[in-house]
Amino acid sequence: MQCRIMSIFRNITEAISDACFIWAQEMHYVIRDEGVLIFFFIVPLAYPLLYSWIYNNETVHEVPVVVVDNSHTSLSRQFIRHCDASPDVKILCYAADLDEAKSLVSRQIAKGIYYIPSEFDIKVNRMEQATISVYVDMSLMLTYKAIYQTAMAVSQQMGAIIQTNVTRPATKREEQISAQPLAVEDVPIFNPAGGYGSFVLPAVLMLIFQQTLVLGIGMSAGTARERNRYHELIPIDRHYQGVLRIVGGKALCYFMIYAIMGAYLTLAIPRLFNFVHIAQWSDLLALMLPYSLSCIFFGMIVSCIVRYRENVMLLMVFVSIPLLFLTGVNWPQSNIPSFWQSISWLFPSTFGVRAFVRLNTMGGTLSDIMLEYRILWGQAIFYFIITSIVYRHQIYISRANALERIEHMGRKLEIGEKIRKRRRRLELPS
Amino acid sequence: MLMKREMQILWKNPIYVFCMVIFPIAVVLFFTTMLDEGQPSSLPVGIVDADNTTTSRGLIRRLDAFQSSHIAANYSTVAEARNAIQRNEIYAFIYIPKGMTEKLIAGRQPKISYYYSQACAMSGSLLMKDLKTVATLGSAGVGMATMQAKGLTSQQMQSLLQPIHIDLHQIANPWSNYNVYLSTVLVPGVLMLFIFLISAYSIGTELKFGRSKEWIRLANGNMFVAILGKFLPHTLIWLAIVFGYEYYIYGVMHFPYEGSAWDIILLSLLHVFASQGFGIFAFGLLPSLRMSMSVCSLWAVLSISMAGSAFPVMGMDAPLQSLSWLFPLRHYFMVYQITVFNGFPLLEAWFHFAALVAFALLPYMVIGKIKNAMQNYVYIP
Repeated sequence: MQCRIMSIFRNITEAISDACFIWAQEMHYVIRDEGVLIFFFIVPLAYPLLYSWIYNNETVHEVPVVVVDNSHTSLSRQFIRHCDASPDVKILCYAADLDEAKSLVSRQIAKGIYYIPSEFDIKVNRMEQATISVYVDMSLMLTYKAIYQTAMAVSQQMGAIIQTNVTRPATKREEQISAQPLAVEDVPIFNPAGGYGSFVLPAVLMLIFQQTLVLGIGMSAGTARERNRYHELIPIDRHYQGVLRIVGGKALCYFMIYAIMGAYLTLAIPRLFNFVHIAQWSDLLALMLPYSLSCIFFGMIVSCIVRYRENVMLLMVFVSIPLLFLTGVNWPQSNIPSFWQSISWLFPSTFGVRAFVRLNTMGGTLSDIMLEYRILWGQAIFYFIITSIVYRHQIYISRANALERIEHMGRKLEIGEKIRKRRRRLELPS
Repeated sequence: MLMKREMQILWKNPIYVFCMVIFPIAVVLFFTTMLDEGQPSSLPVGIVDADNTTTSRGLIRRLDAFQSSHIAANYSTVAEARNAIQRNEIYAFIYIPKGMTEKLIAGRQPKISYYYSQACAMSGSLLMKDLKTVATLGSAGVGMATMQAKGLTSQQMQSLLQPIHIDLHQIANPWSNYNVYLSTVLVPGVLMLFIFLISAYSIGTELKFGRSKEWIRLANGNMFVAILGKFLPHTLIWLAIVFGYEYYIYGVMHFPYEGSAWDIILLSLLHVFASQGFGIFAFGLLPSLRMSMSVCSLWAVLSISMAGSAFPVMGMDAPLQSLSWLFPLRHYFMVYQITVFNGFPLLEAWFHFAALVAFALLPYMVIGKIKNAMQNYVYIP
């Protein structure tokens, strides 16, 4: 009995020491291989900085607009002045007519045209509805919004003044009420400035986490294959015996690196660039654990597909952009076609990003992301099982090949021995 | 000879079939079907109606009738609705306080609030627009009753309610269709990524599989012939893919374009040549398969942001505005939007046009380096 317990104990210690050996070996490979180093360290460190820099300004201000003012009255000039004073639009210049204005737009100097017709002032004073035409270059959504919304806001504001001038209310209060009987307060919540960086960056960060991890693992597996004399993923070695030891040892190595990278991506970058960050650390930790595990095992499965180290780049890099769309930060999640929704279930990033956005940007708690949290754990377990199966298969292949080689060598030896014996026999009589 | 050899290489290695045909087609289909709606419709919106009168219900019904908004649920308190947003059930909610109708009739200017999440910018701004319209209509409804009592004609009422009307002309994309926005830049961006990678990959693998000397020998040591012969089959395949894509979006999906068909053809040619030029140049600069491919992929992924189609380049910091010139996709986007999308003369885009041509000619600078690499370098894993 004691003996059995001892042997189990010895087995366990041996497994742990093997796993540690594999972990050290893998760590060694990672640090020595510059291709892996790029994806494990340089990209996750530098890319977020670059992206944050690109989106640092968050919103567009002072979009240049050209004005065609045929009215030339104090009212039309008031409109132009108010637009110019708004944060989003800058009145670039006056154009004599629409053709001139259009040529400015075509040369990319202005992004839109405000056209005030000659009867603008007359119509307003006649109590008729006056019109201001807005022509926008639609090639950029954000500039279109800035130009149109500014014109809308200014026209409403001026309209209210015109209205009260006509109706002549008795008191200041009545004036306000007649202009707007029902007050509306719009409250943008979570990312109140509507900044572009604040909404797209959390998704990009989580995506960088997954993609660099998968690329790095794929690269290092490719290298291991190419270094191996027989192009096999798993070397014949005393330490590379059990599936769990190999998978555990390798995963531990990646996990250690990405624990640091993950902290950098989710904690340091939003603080460094002052993007919205209102997550609780405990919830974040709870999310990142299954996310990194599922990414690691996902990466290990992908790494078994690639034969040559560079192929993983061809496979994984282009996926990043569709994956960003599948997370639902750009295009609302409720409007993603169900076919693509189901494909998105394959990737940890879909749920990782959604959960992270809700924790980090929307201040949710773990209970709000329970669905994603559970799916991520499910993915981690599922991918772990698949990884084990795939690795087991790899071990089987490499062992079978090794046995074949040994047999082959044995046969060679045997034949050699026979020849030698025969020679000796021939030599003896003489 | 060289072309025949290259065709065999392309045919034998399945990675080429995947990256040159299957994945690009999948990406085209992905973006066009994903954004097929053009504008997201029926986004789920919540209601917190503490007033619960015919007026408030009327307001809600009117909001529900809008294309973008769809009333998904009722909540009893604001906190509950906020939690629903955090659970991703709704994107926005409208809060109607108690006594809204009463105050409205008494002329005490009640206030309704609309909370919308900006964590997804597109849904936020769309829902915002709907609400603004509903609120204006609601206000107008009340004012109209008073004015009618005062005996104003309907024309007078209209001009009183909205003295200045904004007449919007959305040139070239009147539906503000997002498919037109995103599919015309993202898809070429991803195609560019493939062209970059495959160009670098196909030279690099010559070295890796020890075929480089044979390649140079077949070209009689003339590097110009070697490159041309090697990449002509690639160019033909890429052109087929790009033209297929252009035909699909303009011919089948009927994306709007103001420019002529020649503009589209010219742009497609430049797209392929410039990307191949960049890919070969990247390899020449760093004659190692892994480094050049890393540079290509990082550059291509960055270029999708640097093209400035989502977040405009004019909103970025000044150094980045200049750096954007180094990205072929930026020039592609500028030529596209000036000539094809808006239909302005090509002359207005001459700078970007010239830049694309320059990208296509880049390999000329590194041709000697590639030759040297092919003859003397050995692949180290």
